[in-house]
Amino acid sequence: MSVDSQFVHKVWNDQELSKMAKKDIPFYMASDGGGNIGSLYGVYDPEDGVDYRGRFIIDPDGVIQAMEVLTPPVGRKFNETVRQIQAYQYVRAAKGTEACPAGWEPGKKTLKPAPELVGNVWKVWDPFTDH
Amino acid sequence: MSSAKVGAKAPEFEAPAYYKGGFTTVKLSDFQGKWVMLCFYPGDFTFV
Repeated sequence: MSVDSQFVHKVWNDQELSKMAKKDIPFYMASDGGGNIGSLYGVYDPEDGVDYRGRFIIDPDGVIQAMEVLTPPVGRKFNETVRQIQAYQYVRAAKGTEACPAGWEPGKKTLKPAPELVGNVWKVWDPFTDH
Repeated sequence: MSSAKVGAKAPEFEAPAYYKGGFTTVKLSDFQGKWVMLCFYPGDFTFV
């Protein structure tokens, strides 16, 4: 989503992105003319008339679980977004009985919040080896 | 007047879009029941 029109999105896909990706862009390229949607999400810069690099992970209930906003000159790291989606999918499936500690990736140790765990995380989770 | 917060419902929107060779309209509510990654960026044909 950017302030460019859907027509410019098509030309960008055809002339550049499809050459980088070696295929057409498989997702929706939406137009945020005027920055109205960016304003709604708090990522529109009216001075420059563009949207910042805002990224939102929205769950199946339509709730925002995570957001990241960068100013224009630095790009994102896609693998981190994938990791966060995997972690949110994991905790959703566990229905709140498990939590994913720092640096968690699929297959790594999760934590089961309970009164006994308070003050004892250091016994069951090692930040140097468990991530 | 941003209303986007973690833990809160994502603001509904509807926007014209380019999708797989055609022009269409996309709404956030089209994806109810699915995980959505919504990405904003400054502009087409910019460098980063």
